Amino acid sequence: MNKSQLNTMQKSFELMDKRRKSLLDNKKTKELIERVKNIRKDSINNLPKLIKTAKKRLKENGIDVRYAETADDALNIINDIIGDNKVIGKSKSNTIAEIGLADYLKSKEVELIETDLGDRIVQLNPGSNRSSHPIGPALHLNIERIAEIVSENLGITINPEPREILDILKSNVLEELSQCSIGITGSNSVAAEDGSVVIVHNEGNVSLVSMMDTHIVLVGIDKLVHTIEEAISVVKVETMYATGTRVPSYINVISGPSKTADIEKRLIEDMYGAKKVVVILLDNGRSKALKECLWCIGCGSCIVSCPVYNAVGYEFGYRGYLGGRGVAFSKFIKDVKASYQSGLFCCTLCGLCSLECPVSTPTNEIIEKLRKESVESGIYNKKHLKIANNIKNNGSPFDN
Amino acid sequence: MIYFRGCVIRDKLTEIDNATIKILESASIDYKILPNEKCCGSFLMRTGFYDDAIELMKSNLDIFKHEKILVSCAGCYRTLKKDYKDLFGIELDVIHSSEFFQELIESKKLKLNKTSKTITYHDPCHLGRHSNQYNAPRFIIRQLGNLVEMEKNRENARCCGSGGGVRSAYPKVSEEIASMRIDDAKKSNAEIMCTACSFCILNLNSACKKGEKVFDLSEIILMGLKDE
Repeated sequence: MNKSQLNTMQKSFELMDKRRKSLLDNKKTKELIERVKNIRKDSINNLPKLIKTAKKRLKENGIDVRYAETADDALNIINDIIGDNKVIGKSKSNTIAEIGLADYLKSKEVELIETDLGDRIVQLNPGSNRSSHPIGPALHLNIERIAEIVSENLGITINPEPREILDILKSNVLEELSQCSIGITGSNSVAAEDGSVVIVHNEGNVSLVSMMDTHIVLVGIDKLVHTIEEAISVVKVETMYATGTRVPSYINVISGPSKTADIEKRLIEDMYGAKKVVVILLDNGRSKALKECLWCIGCGSCIVSCPVYNAVGYEFGYRGYLGGRGVAFSKFIKDVKASYQSGLFCCTLCGLCSLECPVSTPTNEIIEKLRKESVESGIYNKKHLKIANNIKNNGSPFDN
Repeated sequence: MIYFRGCVIRDKLTEIDNATIKILESASIDYKILPNEKCCGSFLMRTGFYDDAIELMKSNLDIFKHEKILVSCAGCYRTLKKDYKDLFGIELDVIHSSEFFQELIESKKLKLNKTSKTITYHDPCHLGRHSNQYNAPRFIIRQLGNLVEMEKNRENARCCGSGGGVRSAYPKVSEEIASMRIDDAKKSNAEIMCTACSFCILNLNSACKKGEKVFDLSEIILMGLKDE
C-alpha cells in the first residue's frame, strides 16, 4: 500500500475506533461479548459434532449440502453448479477470496459481479484488487481516487461526491445482476442444530444475491455454532466491533429454498426466492488448525490497532485475512510458505490485537508457535539466523 | 543480587548501564554483574529458534535460580518472569528496575528532586500488556516531574515497533511504527519521553530527529539525583 492509501486507512480506522467506543464500553455489550467468547470456544471444541449436525439439519431443511476438503474441491463444486452460466452475482466474503474464485472464474470466462460497494470499487481498481478491511474493503482509497477508478472503468466522468459514486455504481451493478441467475455469498455464522446460515449486510445486496434461482453459500467450518440464537449473538458482536453500530441493517437467516404451503397445505417450492440453496462447508486445513486460531468472528478489530498493519497495510496478511491472525491462519488454509510471505516474521508480538479482539485470540502466542514450526521446517528469516548464531557464539545478538 | 544488564544495554546503550550502576551505588546496594553475561533468550524464543533458546536458557538457569535478578530491559523481564516459568516450571526472583527504584524511593534510599518538567511514559509491550506492570514507572516519574499521558497508554499503548525480531528483519517497518509512537509523544506536549525497555529505546531513538532522545527511567532518575 502506498503512503496516501495508508493515511486514508489510518484516518478511517481512527474514526471507526471513536465511533464504537461508547457502544463497546456498555455493560450489556460486555455481557454479550462474554457470551460470544464462550459460544465460539465451545463451538470450536465441538467442531466434528457440529459438522455432522449441520450436514443433517441443513439437508432436512431442503438445502443441498456439500463438503469441500480443499479449496480446489470447493472450486470444482462451484464450477459444476455454475454449468453454462456466464455471470455470477457475489457478496462480500473472505472465504470466497480464500479459494481464489475470482481468478478461477476469470480463467473460465465467467464474470463475477461484486455487489458490495466497497468490493466493487476494489474490484474495479486497476492498481490492486486487495481489500484493506474485512468489512470496509475500500477504506484505504480516498474519494478522489474512487471517483477516478469509477470514471476510468465506466467511461464517464464522475465527480468525487459520495452520492454520485453510489448511484452510478448501484445502477451498474443492478444492470449486471439482471443477467444473473446464480448468486454466491459467504456466511457470518451457521447454526448447526437449526440448519440455518446467517448473513449480515447493510446494503441489501445479500438479499438480491440470495434471491437468485440458485444461491450458493460458501462457508468455513469454523463458522459453525449450535443455534440461531448463538449465531445472532455472534453477528451482533461482529457488527459492533466492525462498524460501531449496534446492529446491521440486515441479518438474513436462510434455512432453505423458497416455498409455500398456501394451497391445501401442499408444499410447493420456488416462490419468490431461490429455487435451490447449496451450502458448501469448507475445511481447507481448518480441522487441523490450532483451535484458538478458529475462534475469530471476522470483525477486523485486530487490524485497527495493529502497529504493523497501520504501517504497511494489507501486505501484512493473506488474501482477505488481514493482520497477524490472518497471517497465522494462512499456515493452515495454505502452507507455511504462504504464512512466511504474508508476514509471519513481521509481527512485533505486541499483543494489542488480542486486547482488541472480542474473543481474545492470543495471536502473539499462536505466531510464536508457528515461528517455531517454521524454523524447524527450514523457513526462517536470514537476518534472524545470523543474530541467533551470534547469540550462540558470543552470547550477544550483535556482531563483534 | 545480580544486575543483569541484557544484551542491548551491554552492547549498545551503555548509558543505561552506567546510570543504573550510579543509582545502585548511591543507594549503597550490593550487586554483582556476571563476568560472562549472556542473552536472556528472548530473541531466540520470539523468532522461532526454540531449541537454541532452551539450551541458552538452561545454561542461564543454573546461575539465575539461586539469586535475585535485577533487569533494566522489559524483554528480559518478561522472559525471565514468564518464559522460564512456562518452560521449566521455575519461578525466578526477578525484579524490573522500575519496581526496584520505586522500592528505593519508598525506603528513602534514593532522594530525588522534583522539577516542573513534563514527562511522558511509553509502556513497553513486554512490561505492560505481557507482564501487567504499569504503576512503578509512573510512580518514579511523579517523583521527578509532572507525568503527562499519551492518548494511547497503559494496556492500550501503541507498540514501538521493534519487538518480535521485526527491527532486525524489517527495519523500515519498525522505524515507521516508531515514528508513529514519537508522534503520539509529541501530541502529549511532554518535554521528556521515557520508557523502561532497551529495545524500545533503541528503536524509538531511530525515529527521533537530531537532538531528540528517548530516555530510560534510570537516566531521568540520574537527572533528579544530579540536582542534589
